[in-house]
Amino acid sequence: MSKRERIKAIQKMPETMKRKREIRNSLSEYFYRLSFWHKTLKIIGGEFGTSVLSYFIFLKWLLNFNIFSFLINFGFITIPQFVTAEPNNLSFTGLELLTGAGYFQQTVLYYGFYTNATIRKVKNGASYNMQLAYIFTVGIYFVICLLILLFSMAKSFSRNFINPQTYSGNASKLLCTWDFNITNEKAVKLKQKNLSTQIKVENTGDSRRCKGTESACWSHSAKACALISFWHSDSSMIVRFPINLSLPGFGSWHTVPKHSGLLDLHHFSLPDVHAFVFSFHPLKCWETLIGQDIYRLVLVDFIFCLLGSFFGEFLRRIIGTTVCLSLGVPEFDIGRSVLDLIYAQTLTWIGILFSPLLPGIQMMSFFIVFYVKKVSLMRNCQPPRKAWRAAQMTTFFMFLLFFPSLSGVLSVIAVTVWRLKPSEGCGPFRGLPSIYAAISEWVKILENYVDSKWVAWIYNNLITSELFFFILSVVILVITYLYWQIIKGRRTMAKLLREQIINGAKDKMFLLEKLRMLQRIENPFTPRRQDQQVSPVAQIPLFQSCVHYSCVGFF
Amino acid sequence: VMLHGRYHEMAPNVVPMDYTKDPDVKLPMQLIINMPELKENPFKERIVESFSEDGEGSLSFNDFVDMFSVLSEMAPRELKAIYAFKIYDFNTDNFICKADLEKTLNKLTREELTAEEITLVCEKVIEEADMDGDGKLGFADFENMISKAPDFLSTFHIRI
Repeated sequence: MSKRERIKAIQKMPETMKRKREIRNSLSEYFYRLSFWHKTLKIIGGEFGTSVLSYFIFLKWLLNFNIFSFLINFGFITIPQFVTAEPNNLSFTGLELLTGAGYFQQTVLYYGFYTNATIRKVKNGASYNMQLAYIFTVGIYFVICLLILLFSMAKSFSRNFINPQTYSGNASKLLCTWDFNITNEKAVKLKQKNLSTQIKVENTGDSRRCKGTESACWSHSAKACALISFWHSDSSMIVRFPINLSLPGFGSWHTVPKHSGLLDLHHFSLPDVHAFVFSFHPLKCWETLIGQDIYRLVLVDFIFCLLGSFFGEFLRRIIGTTVCLSLGVPEFDIGRSVLDLIYAQTLTWIGILFSPLLPGIQMMSFFIVFYVKKVSLMRNCQPPRKAWRAAQMTTFFMFLLFFPSLSGVLSVIAVTVWRLKPSEGCGPFRGLPSIYAAISEWVKILENYVDSKWVAWIYNNLITSELFFFILSVVILVITYLYWQIIKGRRTMAKLLREQIINGAKDKMFLLEKLRMLQRIENPFTPRRQDQQVSPVAQIPLFQSCVHYSCVGFF
Repeated sequence: VMLHGRYHEMAPNVVPMDYTKDPDVKLPMQLIINMPELKENPFKERIVESFSEDGEGSLSFNDFVDMFSVLSEMAPRELKAIYAFKIYDFNTDNFICKADLEKTLNKLTREELTAEEITLVCEKVIEEADMDGDGKLGFADFENMISKAPDFLSTFHIRI
């Protein structure tokens, strides 16, 4: 080991050591947070590798969004509501857990229950404006979600997609793909066997292709169609039914089978929500009804997820090991499971405006799904055989969460907040022409106070003025164009430098050959071995000057 | 603290609980490669050797902590690349030559391939990754190859 390398490494070491000391010195809270599912993830990673582990890490990440949303909704919206709650006259039967209607209609679960009054606990004391609280809590939550998602996506993209060349090259397969996480003996043996099979197959020139998961398309569309047609007798829904059935046809031309079912999901879920909203509009307290529908969708999705795990893994294993031995033990279908998660999260995001406690319900469902999937994985599945590019696929899933999912939700919410008239009889925005009117009215009130005139100024001249956004867009476009040009230049530079290295190597080989020839001519009688021992030492100064001249010539 | 607990429990008679006097205690390789996180790893001996100061595989507590820091999630890519290079460099000549690659391949496939196949694969690897044409992989070639494999950071990782 060269001293220089070790010193360089040790110099970098103190940073990680210092950080570890800081962690040690801070409260055990940090350790508690670290160990939240830490052991479980370690076991899963140890037995099944990084690819399956990436699904569980994604699930944990989504769970964080829901926990955050539940906490702020509960804290800022629900708790004040408890203070002025009206008594619930309806009776509770067990059926409400499934339908979400009935008793639950008059609880804090749905939008309709929240008051539009300014809550005052003590006369002439501090007041709490429910309208503003509702809209700002939901709005700020979505802004934070958007920012977190954008930053994670950008960081992940920059780490994993910078050099998307020859991943399946032999060099990286040999040196970069061994998963150090795996600690299970059987899994290690399996992986070694897979690698040797892969190498043998490649050497004989064969190439296997991944089988399509068109069954995933069908099952997802069928599931959602069943949901929609079951819960609604509205004619517009029945029109959608044949459209949904034809969507798997589009799925079959996808060459990458892992995300073939995905576009179908998002294709129908967002237009259907639009349809919900517009079809319910003239009804009394339509927001609560939408909230109930989304509650049911979340519940059915959860049940289907559990059923999918049961049929897909448990029964498949039983069939594979007893009845039809050629099938074998199933593998954990990572793509399909992640799409399920993204769908569930999309539903939750849509439902937050109409049912503030929905993230709490989704939180519980994610918890249960985690443990069910883990148990099913351990008992029924074998480690994956084919290579799964965990890092790149995780980036892709984050992108899917952003592009059809979050952006779709934001557009639905934007339409609801700006255009639709809230129902007269219920909810915190009753009586207003639109939900957004709560903010504009508040700003008008603020204009009357001298201290808050700056808020009104910002609102009138920046947020509602088109000129400001136009100028902002132009500036951003210019900056983007500049960065794009810089990237193009750097790419050309990288290519030139690579060619330079290759040329330098060729020069070196050429000059070495020449030197050897010259030395052989000079000393024809000295034995071969001595010649080769002497030449490297003598070559170096001569070689350096030759390379120098050749480089000068190159430029 | 957690790491010290693990270090201690491997040899409770030898490892002191109190490190303020900076005692010179080293654990032999045999004990360390029996840790559950390393037991099934085909490269366990090389990993321990690369982190040991004397090059023979005994780790002091500092080396032990170094090892798990580099293999943790928080270590930067360059540091991981340096140590991965050391691990794959079996003859410690600062180059990954064909013999090193053959040994790596044998460990990865449990010696199930024939000699011909091994030679073929190693030749392909050198062809692909060797940029300066000297027939073996220097650290620069290795780092270049690592940068094309985004999964490296997550696979070169041991949880403790």
